[in-house]
Amino acid sequence: MKKKTIIQFYNHYKLYIFPTAVVLSSLFLIIFAIYPQTAKLIENQKVAGEMQKKSNFLASNVIALEDVNSEDLSEKVGITLSAFPAEKDYGRILGLLQGLVVQSGFTISSVTLGNVSGKVGNASSYEVKLEVKGPKILFQGFINNLESSPRIIRVRSLDIVFVQASEILDTSVIIEVLYSPLPQTFKGDSPLPLFGQAEEELLISLSNLSKINLTASSSAAVYSQRGKVNPFE
Amino acid sequence: MARISINLLPPEIMVQEIKKAKFYRIQFIGIVIVLIMIFLSSLTLALRILQNQSIAAVQATLAQEEQKISKLKGTQASLYLLKNRLSEIDQYFGKSSQQASMYKLIDKLIPTSVLINAITIDKSGGAVLLATAPDSLSLDRLLNNLITKETNEDRISQVSVETLSRSRDGFYRVSLKIKP
Repeated sequence: MKKKTIIQFYNHYKLYIFPTAVVLSSLFLIIFAIYPQTAKLIENQKVAGEMQKKSNFLASNVIALEDVNSEDLSEKVGITLSAFPAEKDYGRILGLLQGLVVQSGFTISSVTLGNVSGKVGNASSYEVKLEVKGPKILFQGFINNLESSPRIIRVRSLDIVFVQASEILDTSVIIEVLYSPLPQTFKGDSPLPLFGQAEEELLISLSNLSKINLTASSSAAVYSQRGKVNPFE
Repeated sequence: MARISINLLPPEIMVQEIKKAKFYRIQFIGIVIVLIMIFLSSLTLALRILQNQSIAAVQATLAQEEQKISKLKGTQASLYLLKNRLSEIDQYFGKSSQQASMYKLIDKLIPTSVLINAITIDKSGGAVLLATAPDSLSLDRLLNNLITKETNEDRISQVSVETLSRSRDGFYRVSLKIKP
């Protein structure tokens, strides 16, 4: 009886019931299947694209890094770190200044290492007071040698007294010795740094200067012997 | 020959037949729509399965590359360090400090007849110059050189005479304060 009523009801309203059922089932499929799957498809496509991009980028980085000559690189890093170290290098700076002073034709009266740390731009610095004597004619060369040394130093102040009779200068130079801490972090997936012509030239200059300085320091060490040759004289 | 069509069916059956035809059309359209929906659902599902496979492949490649790059991390760090040091060094290398430049400038501007007793250049780049001039002309030339923009390369803003004395031998002793 009930079934018959339902069939009768359907037959009577089938023109409305069928389209409604189609619309509802279509909506159900759209809401619960087509739309979420399509949205996820688009989202995943983006993620896959990014991953592919990152993978390609890392692959190109790997190729570039495998091409790097590690010995040459560590030598270059060594040169730059000796020119601009990460921390105070009192020992090295004393040797360097001694070499530069002798190379410039001057003699050291005294060297005072300052404990005060300062800031020059992004770099940190400490002061060294250098008292030297030498011919007036060589003083500009001495200043040039200081400022173009393989270690980054800056002249902070000058106090020059001219001894007229002998054309000799008695000079007190305060030098700022620059250093800067190493960068603490780097991102593994960031692009590899590019080195331009200017940077290559800078490296060559630093390398040449450190070689010249090394030769000068060794010759200075030979000529400026300390103490007596025979201590019993 | 003209054809004559005569509809002998009662009008109720006609209405019923029209209704039936309309329903079949609706039914056809409805089934097509449902089939399209089912097809679209299956298509998106299939595409997602394929996409997941390709994502898994990309993930595997990425993991491989990451492993390779982690082995080369030392070289990479050295490259970054080298770049960092070079850019820091570039700011200072070969660039004369203000104090050294000031000394070179003063040395260039002093006439040969003028004797320099002392030069002090402080941290701000200002200088104090103690000089002895044999005559007023030399002193005049020294001051002119220091204050004229063409000769001082526009790097001296002010020159003030702190002391000026003339000795018995006719020499002028002057103390000058020079501001950059």
